[in-house]
Amino acid sequence: MDLEADLVVIGGGMAGLIAGTIAAEEGLDTILLRKGQSATAYSSGAIDVIGYLPEASEPISSPEEGLFALSRLYPLHPYSVIGYDDRIESGKIVETIVERTKEAITWLKAHLDGTDAPLMGDFKSNMHPITILGTTKPTCLIQKTMDHGDVQTREDSVLLFIGITGYADFNPSTAAKTYLEDRIADTSPPRIVGHRTVQVMPFGKPYNLSSVELARHLDHEGTIEDLAEQLKGHIEQLGATHLAFPPILGIQNALKNKVKLEELTGTTVFELLGFPPSIPGQRLQRALETIFTKAGGKMLLGHEATSYQKVNDIVKSITATAPRREIKIDANAFVLATGKYIGGGIAGDEKGLRETVFDLGPVTGDYHSAMEIVPSRSTSRLSISPTGQPIQSCGLSVDPRFRPVNDDGIEWAKNLFAAGAVIAGYNYSVEKSGLGVAATSGYSAAKNAIEFIKEVT
Amino acid sequence: MTKSKFDVVVIGGGSTGTAVARDCAMRGLQTLLLERDDIASATVGTCAGMISSGLKYRDEPDMMKICSKEVVYWNHIARHIIAKNPILAPLLDLSDAASDSSYMESYSEHVEERDVPAMMFLTPDASIEIEPMLHPEIIASVYYEEYFIDPFRLCLLQALDARNHGAEIRTYCEVIDFEINDKQEIEGVIFYNRVSGATERVETKLVVNAAGPWAHKVAKSAKDYLPIRLNKGAHVIFDRRIVNIGITVKAMDGRWIYLFPHENTTLLGTTALDTWENPDTLVASFDEIEYLLQSMETVLPSIREARIIRTMTGVRPLVPDWKVPERNVTRGYRIIDHSENDGKKGLISFLGGKLVTCRHMAEAVTDLVCEKLGKDIACSTHEKPLPGNEDDVDIIALSKEYDISLHALERMRARRGTEMVKVLELTKEHPEWKTTICTCEPIIEAEIRLSIREEFPQTLNDLRRRLRLGTGPCQGTFCTYKAASILSDELGLAGDDFLVDILDFRAERWKGIRQSMRGEQLAQEELAQGMYACVGNLDQSDVDYDVKPWEEGF
Ligand SMILES: Cc1cc2nc3c(=O)[nH]c(=O)nc-3n(C[C@H](O)[C@H](O)[C@H](O)COP(=O)(O)OP(=O)(O)OC[C@H]3O[C@@H](n4cnc5c(N)ncnc54)[C@H](O)[C@@H]3O)c2cc1C
Ligand SMILES: Cc1cc2nc3c(=O)[nH]c(=O)nc-3n(C[C@H](O)[C@H](O)[C@H](O)COP(=O)(O)OP(=O)(O)OC[C@H]3O[C@@H](n4cnc5c(N)ncnc54)[C@H](O)[C@@H]3O)c2cc1C
Repeated sequence: MDLEADLVVIGGGMAGLIAGTIAAEEGLDTILLRKGQSATAYSSGAIDVIGYLPEASEPISSPEEGLFALSRLYPLHPYSVIGYDDRIESGKIVETIVERTKEAITWLKAHLDGTDAPLMGDFKSNMHPITILGTTKPTCLIQKTMDHGDVQTREDSVLLFIGITGYADFNPSTAAKTYLEDRIADTSPPRIVGHRTVQVMPFGKPYNLSSVELARHLDHEGTIEDLAEQLKGHIEQLGATHLAFPPILGIQNALKNKVKLEELTGTTVFELLGFPPSIPGQRLQRALETIFTKAGGKMLLGHEATSYQKVNDIVKSITATAPRREIKIDANAFVLATGKYIGGGIAGDEKGLRETVFDLGPVTGDYHSAMEIVPSRSTSRLSISPTGQPIQSCGLSVDPRFRPVNDDGIEWAKNLFAAGAVIAGYNYSVEKSGLGVAATSGYSAAKNAIEFIKEVT
Repeated sequence: MTKSKFDVVVIGGGSTGTAVARDCAMRGLQTLLLERDDIASATVGTCAGMISSGLKYRDEPDMMKICSKEVVYWNHIARHIIAKNPILAPLLDLSDAASDSSYMESYSEHVEERDVPAMMFLTPDASIEIEPMLHPEIIASVYYEEYFIDPFRLCLLQALDARNHGAEIRTYCEVIDFEINDKQEIEGVIFYNRVSGATERVETKLVVNAAGPWAHKVAKSAKDYLPIRLNKGAHVIFDRRIVNIGITVKAMDGRWIYLFPHENTTLLGTTALDTWENPDTLVASFDEIEYLLQSMETVLPSIREARIIRTMTGVRPLVPDWKVPERNVTRGYRIIDHSENDGKKGLISFLGGKLVTCRHMAEAVTDLVCEKLGKDIACSTHEKPLPGNEDDVDIIALSKEYDISLHALERMRARRGTEMVKVLELTKEHPEWKTTICTCEPIIEAEIRLSIREEFPQTLNDLRRRLRLGTGPCQGTFCTYKAASILSDELGLAGDDFLVDILDFRAERWKGIRQSMRGEQLAQEELAQGMYACVGNLDQSDVDYDVKPWEEGF
């Protein structure tokens, strides 16, 4: 079977879905291929823009300021590249970079309003939401269900971590201890932190409960009332003003549930940032898919881009394979948003790394060829450290228009644009920049692709 | 609180030290075991767990006889932690078969007592039917059977049994000095308690130095001397049982290497390199990994497609034979009575030995200890079973009774035998503890709680040794923080200690993951970084984390 489109997006995580939505909203005929899992759905569902500058130990209080610094110090960072387009005056580089990022983040927030993953926060200041470990992290936007209100500022706030019997992904007592110690060191509220466990039994068994089961269960009528009933005594006993839940408050009704629980208990209720399987990550993934299809984009799930046809410096078509069929799609431009190792955009063995669809040669975080590196040599001895694992900064090198380049710095094709974690030069885990880079690069890659398509048609 | 006077202090909680402590305690001696880290934290924890017939040592007929006998004893006292593995040695050309033929007879001499068939040749078709991944051009293969034991559980059960017989077992206690009188007699042992930070001392009549590859260092701190030959061995570990049967083959340098299904994983090993490094810092090198893969590729061409999850490295404390390759060094052991060479009186050291012979070694040294103490008590370690070996376990009935999956119960049985009922009893009062914490293995919460209460772990890494926590394909990515919470609850740890436990365990897993990282492990590591750094923000944590020996330098 053969198809035609203006734009083909390969990859259905944050980067690909944003790129696709922008193009579809522009009226382009857009097809998006998604092979399988995406890091986006594993994420905590909060949108990091920049939390730490590379190799710095103090968190950045404002993403905007962080980007000013980043664009001067790291011109090759995926946030920075657009500033170095020869069409931009040299005095405007930094401003362009900051403005573009802000534009993309503002766009994202506006578009996710009314979906299952509505966002809050802004580009001017980072927030410090609490995680299921009881730690905090700097991030730019959180889902509204994660809004902890004034728990960290109100002098008399009393926080209760709420666990669920038989749900091992969250242990309220260790989270409470860890968080309280952090607050004491910081000499800020809340000064009283407790923990309690409630029973939520989707299948009548108090063990082996999963996040998905719990979130689905709480989407049903009447379940929040039950929960509120169980919580009442605990709240009274400690005078709790705020309740922290693992991120399972619902899939479709999470925000409604939060509000309802707040009304019923007279407290501020919020979700912590959690680990995969992450319900907020899945909500974000679904919300992005919703806005893409609503904009008129076509999504082919379970389709893997496996080969391509290229004439001179133009990619003509892509072939996608699904369990029972193979299709060829002709298009004017292509966005490669296949992610890194989890998404599957970059793969490697003991002989080196390679990009998986076009067989492009990835580079390391400092832009040396990664085609023949032994992965273990691109790692740090320390497992978890501010330096991170250099192997996680490997990916494609792109030009200011987000086109992957050869080792001579010239674009590999005029109409192939890359976005998201497939790009090299940043380590999202330590910078806290994952979904922000994906969103911004997806946004810019789409703009450039649109421009190219308009030129040729 | 530790008593202050002992008949014997055993240094080292590996297979040798725990066996010695058990034997001494069973013979009624006042026994203290001091281990600087955890039980089975060093060499024994990196071995393949083969309690072999001694096939590789056929030039040492006495060794073969001892090994065979020990296999019989192990099957009597510890059958719940033992599995029989069939093995094929595929032959690619006739020279393979001709080069040594004596092994068939040597192996077959003791087959009856071990309850295995005699060694036999299989046709290529029969071999490939058993293991379809074998090279299609093999000309024949040799079939035989060996037994394997869980080395961690073995050491732990020996330690627990020693404790049941009155011994004191102290982990995280490092021997740093000795009290020696004018007559050059050892009177006391001084050790550093790594948990409390205190230095402690005890009086003792005798010291058994079972410190494995550190035995010479212990001797040195007694101002004595012990020559030793240290030899590094590495394994590559695969995510599951990738072969139906164990495979052995000759590597490019003529050494035998093997691929053994082991618990839920498969071990490819091993290398042998003389070493002078601190054993704590050693990791597998790229060369060792390639040596093993390329050698196994000759008979299993698709081995590289299998998922490698980590490497594992240990140091053999060999007898110091010079001018011979490692494989010709005796696998027998020596007991050095330092008083006989004008050394310190009361100090007895081990050299050499194997996991399979640890009980035998312990018997020999305890005989000597008893003789020195003027006691005449017979050894019974080969007769009395280790805890859990008392009876058969009906997994199917237990699964119905407690509503826990058969698979989880079977894995629990392989660790605990009849003692597993203690775990299951906990779930009566706490049904929520039926929750699976480590899904790879799998392990339920009740077993983790029981282990913390009764098996004296201090860290997640100690739990790994007791339960195989975090040893599967995800290498603890998902269970680290869950198990850390339980440990923290049970031990009443502070929040910072909880975070340190997570960092420690990630560090320990990373030690082995890093060297062989490729394929799916790249995505696995992105996930781990995403969880613990990106979301948990632990890379920026200011807790007091002690850098591990293998993390120092760049
Ligand atoms: C555990 C974890 C937690 C995280 N938490 C956060 C967080 O809290 N905040 C934050 O900002 N960031 C977070 N991140 C980082 C963030 O998730 C990623 O950086 C981001 O999602 C990358 O988006 P992407 O679209 O580039 O890639 P992905 O989301 O991985 O998407 C790649 C897509 O490409 C598809 N694909 C790949 N190859 C093909 C092919 N050949 N054909 C068709 N489709 C293909 C995949 O199926 C997938 O849909 C986290 C990451 C992890 C792992
Ligand atoms: C790769 C490899 C594979 C092997 N495979 C097999 C096999 O399949 N079958 C087999 O039978 N044998 C095998 N062996 C050999 C076997 O593992 C060892 O011979 C045996 O386990 C050594 O046990 P040990 O107790 O003497 O030493 P260890 O296990 O090293 O124990 C010594 C202990 O002493 C402690 N210690 C050191 N210094 C001090 C101190 N100052 N104070 C307190 N404690 C101290 C250490 O922490 C350590 O726990 C293998 C060895 C290797 C390296």
